[in-house]
Amino acid sequence: MRPQAQTFPAHQVSVHRRRRRVASRLLDQFLRGYLALPVGVAIALIWANTAPERYFTTSHTLAFPVNEIGMALFIGLIMQEIVEAVMPGGALHSWRRWTLPLIAAAGGIAGSAGVYLGYVQGRYETILTAGWPIACAVDIAAAYYVLKSILPRSGALPFVLLLAIATDLVGMLVIAPQHPTSAVHGGGLGLMLVGLGLAGVMRALNVRGFAPYLVICGTLSWFALYREGLHPAFALVPIVPFLPHEPRRLDLLADPPDDDAVHHFEHEWNTVVQGILFLFGLVNGGVMLRGYDTGTWALLLAALVGRPLGIMAAVGAAVAVGWHLPRGLGWRQLLVTALASSSGFTFALFFATGILSTGPLLAQLTIGALGTAAGSLLAIGAARLFRVGRFAR
Amino acid sequence: MRRIAFVLLTAWLATAGFTPAAQNGARPAAETLPARADSLKFAVLGDNGTGEQPEYDVGQRMAAVHAAFRFDMVLMLGDNMYGRQDPEDFVTKFERPYAALLKDGVLFYATLGNHDDQNNRFYKGFNMGGERYFTFVKKNVRFFVLDTNQLDPKQRDWLDTALQQSDDQWRICYFHHPLYSDASRHGSDVSLRVVLEPLFVKYGIDVVFSGHDHVYERLKPQKGITYFVAGSGGQLRKGDVRPSAQTAAYYDQDQSFMLVEVAGDDLFFEAINRSGAKVDSGVIHRQPVGSR
Repeated sequence: MRPQAQTFPAHQVSVHRRRRRVASRLLDQFLRGYLALPVGVAIALIWANTAPERYFTTSHTLAFPVNEIGMALFIGLIMQEIVEAVMPGGALHSWRRWTLPLIAAAGGIAGSAGVYLGYVQGRYETILTAGWPIACAVDIAAAYYVLKSILPRSGALPFVLLLAIATDLVGMLVIAPQHPTSAVHGGGLGLMLVGLGLAGVMRALNVRGFAPYLVICGTLSWFALYREGLHPAFALVPIVPFLPHEPRRLDLLADPPDDDAVHHFEHEWNTVVQGILFLFGLVNGGVMLRGYDTGTWALLLAALVGRPLGIMAAVGAAVAVGWHLPRGLGWRQLLVTALASSSGFTFALFFATGILSTGPLLAQLTIGALGTAAGSLLAIGAARLFRVGRFAR
Repeated sequence: MRRIAFVLLTAWLATAGFTPAAQNGARPAAETLPARADSLKFAVLGDNGTGEQPEYDVGQRMAAVHAAFRFDMVLMLGDNMYGRQDPEDFVTKFERPYAALLKDGVLFYATLGNHDDQNNRFYKGFNMGGERYFTFVKKNVRFFVLDTNQLDPKQRDWLDTALQQSDDQWRICYFHHPLYSDASRHGSDVSLRVVLEPLFVKYGIDVVFSGHDHVYERLKPQKGITYFVAGSGGQLRKGDVRPSAQTAAYYDQDQSFMLVEVAGDDLFFEAINRSGAKVDSGVIHRQPVGSR
């Protein structure tokens, strides 16, 4: 006689299915990058403050491979999304869309850098001066997804993307020439030219697969930067434009359909990159919380107050001389957008590790960088206060 | 009666944050500061550049001590200047407080703290030669001076090479941020420790001086190295020390400075407060590197 299959009450089955759906959604969000970095940071903070010697020994060992090899893939991924969004046919292609966000970015940089430098000068801690690009960093994903949750279909989304891209590009230009290692071997220029040349030949031959570009040209570019003592994490930046692209709709960091070789790179490497982001948070986010000091407050003030004020002032000045706000973006929406861009988090952390070496300066600025995540909450709070977007009713 | 008085006195001193030298593992005071003719004598001062009265008091105390104990140099552990650092501030925050010592030809060798302008390394009075990190030798002691605001790869490589090349009898390192400290405000900088300590152990650093925490503390030897925190040369955080199992002695009730004498294989030290009271003393016997 066959044993009877065990049955469960209907409500237990429903709870079980719900839990599996939640777990699946969480795992999906983790892998898509929404949670990978914050989870890594959270673990790092707990570890650093409970077993600091073991944490810092581990993080120092992993720092170079994670920050200069692993992050090269993340930056390559971001670069690819930017290229496809701004190329002809892409959601951000029209130059008309760029002007006001660029003005806003300039205002945001001036506002955040001004507040940061003013604060450290006022406290007579000029040793912190070099950290000003960290205050300017914008976490593109945080800004985008916070705004998407508040203003899902509005001119604010492309506006904030362009503002964030322009702002972070300035920061990258500042930190790229910094020297992560002491040794400069030379010969990097030649390697870079070979790498770019090969990428150009592959493109001309219509090589569709991404692997040759990344493995051959990307590796040459990586060693080119390394030999010149520059940050090799930017290795894929000059290579990615050579990859075959197609214009993409405005859905940042979304996993596109794996329908052709063009998106195969993103599809294949997305999970790896999220793992790298987790490690990045783990390696760089750990800091002893009592390490806060002048740099912490300078950074927080600059990002959460200086940048939004700078953006509002710059856009206000542009409108006063004849520019128009994008359709669907009024002054209240602009304020929420400016606050959404005040979170530096990922990029602030990346800039901090790119500019500063191990030591108490890095520690206090790391705490500030992590604290700028409060910008997302400020944006939501402002949206509620001023009844913006989904809080309009 | 005398026993009761001694117990009461010790209890009072303990609650006042003073651990008598005889109770903290150091040898009795009679063995400190022998003032030998051929020894190296120096003072140690940290976080002093306030330009306020306590700094001047410490300067006067150092000058008074100098009359009897002729140290010829002072190690400055960073935060040599606070606040504005214009030319006139170098007078009020350095040249005037230590005028008597400077007049006697005492040399000050500084390192940079987080409050110091990086350009202060060019100030002649700090004898930094325009460098953030450097080394110098006096008699049988080599000093390695670091900039721990940022431990960049170039500095690390330089230190590794400099330590490797040193065959001096004593190797002393000083920098602003302490690798070991039981003060509450800042405490141990573990991120620096995991980078520097292996080098110190490998190449046989004997003693490390740091500031940053505005207290005085002597730690029990860590992997054969004795660490001092001497950051109350002008600044002070009263009651900031939370002594732990690694604390050998501490003093956080008043500004203080140190006197050090290196004679042969022995390093004698005293910590003296603004009023001239000895708050710690002892001797460290140098151990050969292989025996640690």
